[in-house]
Amino acid sequence: MPKILLVEDNEMNRDMLSRRLLRKGFQVEMAVDGRAGVEMGRSGKYDLILMDMSLPEVDGWEATRQLRAAPETATVPIIALTAHAMAGDRDKALAAGCNDYDTKPIELDRLLGKMAALLPTAPQ
Amino acid sequence: MKNAAASRQDALLDLSTRIAEAESESEVCHAVVDGLRGEALGYDFVAVLLVDQATGDRVLMASTGWKEAPAGLRIRPGQGLSERPLLDGRIHYTPRVTEETRYLPTRNEGSEVDVPLLANRALVGVLVVESNRPDAFDEADFKILTAAANQAGMAIGRARLLRAERARADEQEALRATMADLVGRRDLATVLQAVLERAMRLLAVSHGELAIYHAEADELEIVASHNMGRKDTTGTRMKLGEGAMGHAARTREPLLIPNYREWSGRSTQYATVEFTAVMVAPLLIGENLVGAMAFMDKNPARRFGDEDLRLLNLFAPQAAIAIENARLFTAAQHQRKYFQELVDNNPVAIVTLDEHHNVVSCNPAFEQLYGYSEADVRGKNLDDLITTDATRLEAVRYTEQALDERPVKVISQRRHRSGAMVDVEVLGVPVIVGGKRLGLMALYHDITPLLKARRAAEEASQAKSHFLASVSHELRTPLNAIIGYSELLKEEIEDLGVGQLGADLSRIEASGRLLLALINDILDLSKIEAGKMEIHCEDFALEPLLDQVRSTVGPLVERRANRLVLEGAPAAGSMHTDRTKVMQMLLNLLSNASKFTESGTITLSVRRYGDNGADTVQFQVRDTGIGMTPEQMGRLFQAFSQAEASTASRYGGTGLGLAITRHFSRLMGGDVQVESTPGAGSTFTLTLPAVVRVAATDPVGGH
Repeated sequence: MPKILLVEDNEMNRDMLSRRLLRKGFQVEMAVDGRAGVEMGRSGKYDLILMDMSLPEVDGWEATRQLRAAPETATVPIIALTAHAMAGDRDKALAAGCNDYDTKPIELDRLLGKMAALLPTAPQ
Repeated sequence: MKNAAASRQDALLDLSTRIAEAESESEVCHAVVDGLRGEALGYDFVAVLLVDQATGDRVLMASTGWKEAPAGLRIRPGQGLSERPLLDGRIHYTPRVTEETRYLPTRNEGSEVDVPLLANRALVGVLVVESNRPDAFDEADFKILTAAANQAGMAIGRARLLRAERARADEQEALRATMADLVGRRDLATVLQAVLERAMRLLAVSHGELAIYHAEADELEIVASHNMGRKDTTGTRMKLGEGAMGHAARTREPLLIPNYREWSGRSTQYATVEFTAVMVAPLLIGENLVGAMAFMDKNPARRFGDEDLRLLNLFAPQAAIAIENARLFTAAQHQRKYFQELVDNNPVAIVTLDEHHNVVSCNPAFEQLYGYSEADVRGKNLDDLITTDATRLEAVRYTEQALDERPVKVISQRRHRSGAMVDVEVLGVPVIVGGKRLGLMALYHDITPLLKARRAAEEASQAKSHFLASVSHELRTPLNAIIGYSELLKEEIEDLGVGQLGADLSRIEASGRLLLALINDILDLSKIEAGKMEIHCEDFALEPLLDQVRSTVGPLVERRANRLVLEGAPAAGSMHTDRTKVMQMLLNLLSNASKFTESGTITLSVRRYGDNGADTVQFQVRDTGIGMTPEQMGRLFQAFSQAEASTASRYGGTGLGLAITRHFSRLMGGDVQVESTPGAGSTFTLTLPAVVRVAATDPVGGH
């Protein structure tokens, strides 16, 4: 059962996306800002991290960089989620160390496809 | 007539002295007349006539006792008793004049002695002595008169030599002065006046006119005029062939007109003139006409002859050269002035440098731009003055480049005298005159206002992009929740089996998606406008892409009972370009076709072709829908312009899809075209290079 860390500050989005992922059979834990995301991520128990980019305290780019810098999370798949859609956002996310990138509003099928590509085994 | 011998002797001595002292012909003639008339000799009527070489007339030079015999009176050949000595060189005595056939019954009816005047062995005139009485003269008189005539003849000969000497000296002086005009760069008006005056002095005439030739109008213009009497003729223009000067200019030959009043070609301007004879000559340099001159004299007796022509022939070519020289000089000065004005009034700062980078000159705009006066900078090294440490090396390099005959065009900064920096466009070109490099010219165009405007425009554009990105972000966050919760609820309701609620939720979701599509399209357009639309290239096979397109667009096509036909997909191969955008364009075209077609067929066909190494993929979307008029097609690819305002409400859609499709296709090196017939359907053709030619991650459009 893949274990997902969702780092998202917007309460509704956090709630909605986590419930939809739960319905698809994922285990989901949540962090409400970048600092908490890094702390939880370092526990090393997640198969994939969904990282919002506009976060309080530590933003998603910085949080990703910090996770990548730590040996235990250097290779954990991270998908950036952003509402920004201007040129450069995608490159900026990939440069920070994200494996992939998706824009909000979330198209669940599209996101699931991207997650499946990064997870060792697909969820049931 | 019998007087004391002594007083006669005195009188003769006195006569000799007078004649010896006379300098000119006229003085000689008067001395003869005055001496013979004196009391001691007591001749009543004495006259001296000299022969005019040109006409053969005897012209009365001096006389006494004759009434109505003014100086200048002419007696034509064949007339009068005084002609006889000229025919045989002898003294003729006529005791009774009335008995002679040649006698002109005008003066006395007594006797007359005519004595020839010999000068340098030539017969030059006649001494005429008359008395009212017949038989008034005897041998003694003949002796006295012969002696007087001999002395007078010699004196006249001498006077003529003297006059010729002086004339030659004058001639030399006039020619020398004309030569001086040739080399002296004097202004045209002065030269013209001087040439005319010298010619008049040389020819000893009182009147003269000088005209120059204007080749472009084929006209002569009188530019100098001397003593023409009633009115100044300067400025008068004449066609060639008009008047005496026009005649000479046309024939290129001098012309002597003995009596202007009787000349058939006379100008109406001179209908009434005092003068009689006129001499005109063209001014020529080789075959080229420069102008013409005319000469007249207030003395109506003045005639023009070979000697005048000889002088004029010597003078005219030099005068022509002097005039042309002054004309060219004046034209060159004018030209120089013209170019100087161009530089002085130029709003662009202009400076010229010598080969050592030192300033030769600068214009007022330069003084204004840099705060230095021309006196401040002349002779100084330009790059010392208007550069800083940061720009000096660059400036010196450009100076050397321009001197090396490679023009410079750069945008840079230079320093004002106050230390302030000025944004300038610099142009540097070498100055080469007659193959010799003299230095360079640098132009500085103050682009501060342009840069200011550009910065303002860039700031405004960035503010707009930032605003759009923010708005888009702010809209997406709540939309994320709307769409996400709708989907979530739908799934949960399905699980619960409350189907009725699902339909309502679907409406909320559909509206949310439409709103999202709008936001995405607007964002795409703003990215395209800002030049920030990126192309992300990847290799992909076309057949799976087309399958994906078909399944995505399927529900939309079926909504209006249309049938989708896919052609050519298996043979289409693969592409290297932005897959997402290809998909988006095809979806745009298909959704457009399905909106305007009902119960019809929509065909998506793919064709690949290549020539000259150009590998092109062509997608065609054909529908059997309502079609468009040419006017509607004209506006089709503009943003926010569905064919009709009512279309949007009837058919839905943002109206941005086709505009985005065209922008995308062009970014990717292709294009999209449309053909349509109202009522019969439309065909959209999207052509794209199979391998995109732009750099994969470069922002397209640039700044």
